[in-house]
Amino acid sequence: MLYVLSKITRKYGSRTVLDIPLMEIEKGKIYALLGPNGAGKTTLLNILGFLEVPTTGDILYRSKTVNFSESSLQNLRREVVMIDQHPILFTGTVYKNVEFGLKIRRISQKKRGIIIEETLDLVGMSAFVQAQAHRLSGGETQRVALARALAVSPEVLLCDEPTSNLDVENQTAIINTLKQINEQRKTTIMFTTHYMYQVSSLAHHTFFLDHCKLTATQAESFKLCR
Amino acid sequence: MELLVDSFLSAILLIFSLDTEVLSIVWVSLKVSGISTFFASLMGVPLGFLIAYGFFKGKRILIIFLNTMLALPTVVIGLFVYSFISRRSILGSLDLLYTQKAIVIGQIILILPVVATLTIAAISRIDERYRKTAMTLGANRWQTACVIFREARFGIVAAVIAAFGRVIAEVGISMMLGGNAKGFTRTMTTAMALEYDKGEFILAVALGIILLVLSFAINLIFNFFQGRTRA
Repeated sequence: MLYVLSKITRKYGSRTVLDIPLMEIEKGKIYALLGPNGAGKTTLLNILGFLEVPTTGDILYRSKTVNFSESSLQNLRREVVMIDQHPILFTGTVYKNVEFGLKIRRISQKKRGIIIEETLDLVGMSAFVQAQAHRLSGGETQRVALARALAVSPEVLLCDEPTSNLDVENQTAIINTLKQINEQRKTTIMFTTHYMYQVSSLAHHTFFLDHCKLTATQAESFKLCR
Repeated sequence: MELLVDSFLSAILLIFSLDTEVLSIVWVSLKVSGISTFFASLMGVPLGFLIAYGFFKGKRILIIFLNTMLALPTVVIGLFVYSFISRRSILGSLDLLYTQKAIVIGQIILILPVVATLTIAAISRIDERYRKTAMTLGANRWQTACVIFREARFGIVAAVIAAFGRVIAEVGISMMLGGNAKGFTRTMTTAMALEYDKGEFILAVALGIILLVLSFAINLIFNFFQGRTRA
């Protein structure tokens, strides 16, 4: 198992926003995370992305217990990338945005150029390489954010509603890219969505969150949703 | 009214004649204000950044304290610094009183809270998603801070410009700590006060015009950077 979460809770003050007794995530699979607004989906993604520390419980990542110290989390974050529901691009060009994670990893300039070209090509944004990031449309921003995440070749990709507020064309482009990278790179993907057709066309497994609790998995969730 | 018109016309002539006294006063003002803004920014920007970016106990109290310091009158700062650098006081042996250094010290105290609070405001306006995005892409704390700083750069520049605008127009500190010595510590504002006392309006009006033009230019630049922040 890539992740094993046991007895994970997340509280803000006295309010519990997540309560998961057990959750297992296998390497190389695509997971859909379903649930109503406020169910705790984003909090769960933040915890899986090592951006938020659970209030209680343990996480096993690659069979090792996660130590929640900042230095340890920082190393883990280099393997797991999360794309926000409304991703934000840094000021500057599309090239500079995709380059960010690669520069941090001290990848040579020549190699960076090749990777950026490849990933922008993968998401169909090659023509925008020198465009100013803040001038892009919502769909284009989402695709550049995906390219920026994919450029660092993550083991795990976490996407918070990757196609929300996008037109059909952009939705298809994102879904196809996720499928492609899972097949080619065996990247583990977890995405949240409200669209059932995305779950059936993309996910190998599903989780259903309701009122901060994992209420069903896989086939059960389909029944619940229907 | 006639006096004002006559003084205004004579002042314009004085400015365009590049009078050495006017130039000397303007130079002292720009030099002293520039140096104090530089040092206040050197301390105020990192201070503001640390306060805005960090999570620590007493953060709100510190912000309230800095906001309170914004209202500190220049004469109070003048008195405060004077009590440290006057001949018989603790730093009297350094002979700082009635020097440009004394004005710089007072002005730094005046604008340090301006730079710090406006930097805090600039950093606080930055969307939380920048921090999260940098972190998820593998950035460490320092690299994440650099991202935030970069996104807030226009707001920070605006903070520095606002501080310069504040300091170049102040009179209390320059008068009390500089002593208004001709060609040495005489700034635009202290010269204007002196000329007014003497009943000589031409030089005062000329300096007033220069100060207004400078203020206009500073505001123009400030607005440009404020606009860039909002864009």
